[in-house]
Amino acid sequence: MEPRLTVQLTLKAYDVLLPVATGFVEKTALTFGLGKKEALTLALATEEVFLYLCHISNPETELEIRCRSNAYCTATDFLFEAEGFQMKAFNLTAIPSFEDEASTQEAGLLIAARLVDRFNLQYVGKRLLLTFVKDKAYPEIGDLEPPVSMPLSRFFICRPDGEEIKAAVRMIRQYCRDRFNPPEVDFPGKVADIFASGELDAALAMDKAGHIGGALFWSRDVPEGVECIGPYIFHSESDPEMAVALLNHCMEEIARSGAAGLINRYSGTGLPTGYFESLGVLTFSRGDGTRVDVETSYRHLREDKGIAVWAHPDLAPFLESQYKKFVLPREIQWVTVEGEKKSSFSVLSAEMNRFGHWAVLRPLVYGEYAATVLADHVRLLEKEGFSSIFFEMDLKNAWQAHFTQGLLKNAFEPRLLIPYGGKGDLVVFQRRVQSEA
Amino acid sequence: MISLFSPQKLLPRHIQTFEAYVPSRPDPELMKMYGCSRLFRLNNNENALGPPPEAQEVLRGFPPKAAALYPSGDAFYLRHALARKFNREPEQFLVGNGANEVIAFVIKAFCEQGDNIVTADKTFAVYEWVARFSGLEARLTPLRDFAFDDEAMLARMDERTKILFLCNPNNPTGTYWDRTRLCGFLDRVAGRAVVVVDEAYAEFVEARDYPNCMSLMETYPNLVVFRTFSKMYALAGLRIGYLAGATEVVDAIRRTCIVYSVNRLAQEAALAALPAEDHILSTRLMVREGKDYLHRELEELGLPFISGEGNFLMVRLPFSDTLAYRKLMTRGVMVRTMTAFRFPNYIRITISSMEAMEALVTALRVILT
Repeated sequence: MEPRLTVQLTLKAYDVLLPVATGFVEKTALTFGLGKKEALTLALATEEVFLYLCHISNPETELEIRCRSNAYCTATDFLFEAEGFQMKAFNLTAIPSFEDEASTQEAGLLIAARLVDRFNLQYVGKRLLLTFVKDKAYPEIGDLEPPVSMPLSRFFICRPDGEEIKAAVRMIRQYCRDRFNPPEVDFPGKVADIFASGELDAALAMDKAGHIGGALFWSRDVPEGVECIGPYIFHSESDPEMAVALLNHCMEEIARSGAAGLINRYSGTGLPTGYFESLGVLTFSRGDGTRVDVETSYRHLREDKGIAVWAHPDLAPFLESQYKKFVLPREIQWVTVEGEKKSSFSVLSAEMNRFGHWAVLRPLVYGEYAATVLADHVRLLEKEGFSSIFFEMDLKNAWQAHFTQGLLKNAFEPRLLIPYGGKGDLVVFQRRVQSEA
Repeated sequence: MISLFSPQKLLPRHIQTFEAYVPSRPDPELMKMYGCSRLFRLNNNENALGPPPEAQEVLRGFPPKAAALYPSGDAFYLRHALARKFNREPEQFLVGNGANEVIAFVIKAFCEQGDNIVTADKTFAVYEWVARFSGLEARLTPLRDFAFDDEAMLARMDERTKILFLCNPNNPTGTYWDRTRLCGFLDRVAGRAVVVVDEAYAEFVEARDYPNCMSLMETYPNLVVFRTFSKMYALAGLRIGYLAGATEVVDAIRRTCIVYSVNRLAQEAALAALPAEDHILSTRLMVREGKDYLHRELEELGLPFISGEGNFLMVRLPFSDTLAYRKLMTRGVMVRTMTAFRFPNYIRITISSMEAMEALVTALRVILT
């Protein structure tokens, strides 16, 4: 695993320090392995955020900028006093306005959010932590022929090296192209880097001659669980126990990791019986306009000790049926609205996959106009051709439950309950397609 | 200054990646959550007969005022009783707050950064855990035929291997090494490392070729034996266990031992329990009957099982063990899931009273349909 480095800069909110902030981020990003273009983009995003913070802050206020290295990306954190910060600029639907100085400054934030690949906002005490992530640029999968697929009657399970990972990814693209695959399979180099970073682990089924018969990947990017991708079996005449062996290997590796469960959204039809519980399906659109139902499966890795979750009463029928069906002990606490003040706006983040025509919305802030903000996002996404729109609600966070009514009003329906899919259980909503809505 | 205190920054790297073990909630809480009115605990290999009558007498008669007094810091009387029972010296015993604590004593005594321990992948997890959160490498060898693989363990040894942990009989498979195999292993280790034989379930073993490690310490001064009062003697709630070894080895381990960690009531109850041979015979009878019954029923249900020595057996289910746990809990039966033991889709069942065994079989029939 490559070492992860963090470099930190603390400075006061004087705009004359702008070159220090942007220079720090650009040079650090270059040092961490981003290309020149990506490093400059991150520096431009930093410029917008820094100037905005200078505009709204007392100049003596300190703010912290932190760059974190990763094999496939660089993350830049901004930690600052939250007062006056207009988070609504991070909505995908925010429209830049240059009517006055304040609007112009907010437009800078909007530009910054569009420049990076991912961002996140969270409170750390009374301060805000804004994280921008910029990925390295990778070439799309080339014309290089993948290894030949052949039936393996005898095989062993092993942890691959970087070249074997890329070969396995090419085999997925070639031999499992009909399956619903994660977008990263178009970038073998990126998968190899994520693997090198330690965020992704993998097992291959190989024979002594070095032929690859199957693959399984797993990652810890779910807070309380592990997400596994596969198993992929590259030849239909391979030993039917290969999928079981790959899964057993994965579970043995993570058995004592403390993870609550194993989620599988990319199994195709490759899951052996008796290992997972089917949670339901999400519907995706293919490029040709046809639709495909993709199953999500799950299994606990440890005994369920029970947790409390927060939900809106409108979700009661769905939640109660799911908890009963999967025999999950949960204490459901219902959120209420009793005249208390809420934030003046709602903010969502959006993860988009243009090739797959899908987008996932996640709540960042709940406040006024939640239903309108949702409707605006849906309108924009559908206009841009995103035909599968999802919303993920973490039931550990009571405030997220307040989005329920807005979701139902905007033709979203709860499709899946993933135990421990977030910090607590995760409900995945999907917007019904226009003809249904 | 803007930076806030961050405990994460102070943690050693090996602790940053380590996740805390979250124990089960108390029975009443679990029963409330799963909606059952009674609960058969078949998850922790506890003894359904309870402590021996002599120990129960001590528990009933414990004067509340004695709780104000510190216990013997080194379990003086209990060590002397153990010495008499096993024909050793009191200095050859070290008593801890359950066997888990003595695992930590041994690792702390012998290992430093860069050292490693060797054990099996599918065995009691605490050897591996304590090593890992001590910043040590835990080298795990696969079981062979569900038993510890001596050749594989020897192959993983190097000059930084300080301790080899053998669980005999193995939890959860119930397999054991006989005297010949154990002595052959000790001969080949040849004093290069400490060999810990965890005999938590020794009192349940009826096989004649099971080794008597207490008698092997003179021949093999690197041999350390763990025993517990939690299983056969049913004092799990009081947390008391011990280790035994050659005087020189135990003297070394004692340097890392936390004195006064074993409470007075536990010491007195263990002292009373030690001579209780009738209790051992009664428990063995219950376990034998329970196993016979379960073997028949599991065969009839078509469920493969692994049953060896000890008061437990493992069953392979046609679906996830963790789902089985939840379903069985709603029927008032608590078992141990085996995914964390690296046996996905297996459950481990404590052999208990016939009432509990029948409740288990009834519940299994329901969840299998």
